[in-house]
Amino acid sequence: MIKPPNIEYCKKCVYPAIAATPLTFDKDGVCSGCRASNQKDEINWEDRKEKFLRLVERYRNKDGSNYDCIIPVSGGKDSYFQIHIIKNICGLNPLLVTYHGNNYTPTGMKNLLNMREVFDCDHIFFTPSIEVLKTMNRLGQLMMGDMNWHGHAGIFTYPIRVAVKEKVPLMIWGEHGFMDLGGMHSYNDFVEFTYRYRHEHCLRGYEWYDFVKQAQHFGEKLEKKQLIQWMYPADEEIEEVGVRGIYISNYFKWEANEHGKIMIEKYGFKEAEEPFERTYRRMSNLDDMHENGIHDYMKYIKFGYGRATDHVCKDIRSGKMNRQEGIKIVKKMDNIKPKDLFRWLDYVGWSEKKFDQVADSFRDPRVWIKDSSGKWTKCNIWDK
Amino acid sequence: MLKTRLIPILFLKNGLIVRSETFSDFREIGNPINQLKRLSDWEIDELIYVDITREGGYDLKRSDHKIKGKKEIISILKEIAKSTSMPLTFGGRIKSIEQVDAYMANGADKVIINTGVYDSPELISNVSSKYGSQAIVVGIDIKKEGTLYNMYVKNGQKKVKDDPLNYAKKVESLGAGEIFINSIDRDGTGKGYDINIIKKIISSVNIPVIAAGGAGTFDDFIELAEETCVSAIAAGNIFNFTEHAYPRAKKELKRAGINVR
Repeated sequence: MIKPPNIEYCKKCVYPAIAATPLTFDKDGVCSGCRASNQKDEINWEDRKEKFLRLVERYRNKDGSNYDCIIPVSGGKDSYFQIHIIKNICGLNPLLVTYHGNNYTPTGMKNLLNMREVFDCDHIFFTPSIEVLKTMNRLGQLMMGDMNWHGHAGIFTYPIRVAVKEKVPLMIWGEHGFMDLGGMHSYNDFVEFTYRYRHEHCLRGYEWYDFVKQAQHFGEKLEKKQLIQWMYPADEEIEEVGVRGIYISNYFKWEANEHGKIMIEKYGFKEAEEPFERTYRRMSNLDDMHENGIHDYMKYIKFGYGRATDHVCKDIRSGKMNRQEGIKIVKKMDNIKPKDLFRWLDYVGWSEKKFDQVADSFRDPRVWIKDSSGKWTKCNIWDK
Repeated sequence: MLKTRLIPILFLKNGLIVRSETFSDFREIGNPINQLKRLSDWEIDELIYVDITREGGYDLKRSDHKIKGKKEIISILKEIAKSTSMPLTFGGRIKSIEQVDAYMANGADKVIINTGVYDSPELISNVSSKYGSQAIVVGIDIKKEGTLYNMYVKNGQKKVKDDPLNYAKKVESLGAGEIFINSIDRDGTGKGYDINIIKKIISSVNIPVIAAGGAGTFDDFIELAEETCVSAIAAGNIFNFTEHAYPRAKKELKRAGINVR
């Protein structure tokens, strides 16, 4: 009998020790994500709000000659919440910036168009060349098993380029993803947007030039001049404007489910019209048709868990669900091969066989092993 | 007058940079290579790199990142030394002169030793006679308990009876070139430095003192420099949290009139 490698799981939520999100376990087997989440209840959020108001006040443009801040938005519920706070609570004049990766779902697009109308803000909606996007999709999949690298890189590069160009020193981000999920930071850190975090965790250590370098190797064509908007500004340019990016989640208690409800009632935000295959939540990651689909399926192929695990962990931590219920959902959803795959194959001109071959080359040997019949197998939380 | 140095510390646990709090809560920040590149871009005064691994091996955890595979400490050191001119102080788990030799041969300018010299004080003179006293920094971890300042070894897990001030004098007399003090109860809390004990240590010895533990804002650096004659301001976490943290901190220190490079 071939035995798969053992995987430790958090005793409180369902997070595995081998994960895309860095996390650590304490002596009781509880993960850092749960620990960071507990910290939320001990924080004086009124005090934090005051801090936030004082901070943004320093960036308010006094003579109306420029925007007060930039908000990177996708049109999702978090974008609504960010604008709600900045425009309607703080009375600031933001410039909204969107990277359009050509993967919008119909609901996502409706939400985006509704967003700029209900909030009545200036909005830059940037779309790269579609042919370049297709190449980036294929290369991302080949180089690191993530067809959506272009999207992550675009979301974390284009807004700061605009900040530098428009000379707007303040960027407003929503939640710090790795902090919320894995507990990378304490709420006392007041962590801000950094090149290092973007480069290493959001972009996996790759930049546009790696794509140019690798293109030929994989039989693709890509030139430097096609990737201008993925180029991060130089340190000197950033310093000249003094750009910083702060996370609202350090100042306002981040409760995704609650925020979603308020955004629906107040601003007409729409949940996904169709349920997702790989998660039960209808409000999260709904703008991009592959985010909850094959992008996330690749996380399962690599590390053996997916979005359902992420959402179950968040819902266990906020008291919305117990661990047993969570495990049932994880068992049912994490392994599903989603149907958006066929749109993607058609979009980039690949066969399903090619996709599977490339995908399998990214299976982490600390998670997966082939059993005697040649089937991939791993240690599951429900076997524990 | 000598300039006050500002020194980032990277705490490494099982190969990854961690955010440490009170020597007991560790959060993984990422691989050391990317942050080292940033620190090198910023031409920092000096770097302290401490391996605080307690058990297990080195693992960068992500097989789909550009930087792959396992890296043990010597190969990381080689890689840094190759690409930077910043002075490097290496430490953590050093027990013997052979380990010191390996670090020095691969690019370290100094070593920092805590438990190793507590257990074998002769290690101080062994290092200083071989490499000069400037090459040996002795680490002292202090915890304030009630009104008392107690000294700990073994990653802050074992309390010892020594008085920190007497111990500082002792390591000075054995040939230590510098003393590095860290506060266990302030580590990672952002409450500011423990000015009181730092002042006392500084006045009890004649060698330079590097102080760490508790920096939450750049104002804490300024307070430390204004209130004490510290030779170097050191901090771990804070340089990982905000963009261009090091050059922006230097700018603030200069604006406050502190004599920094």
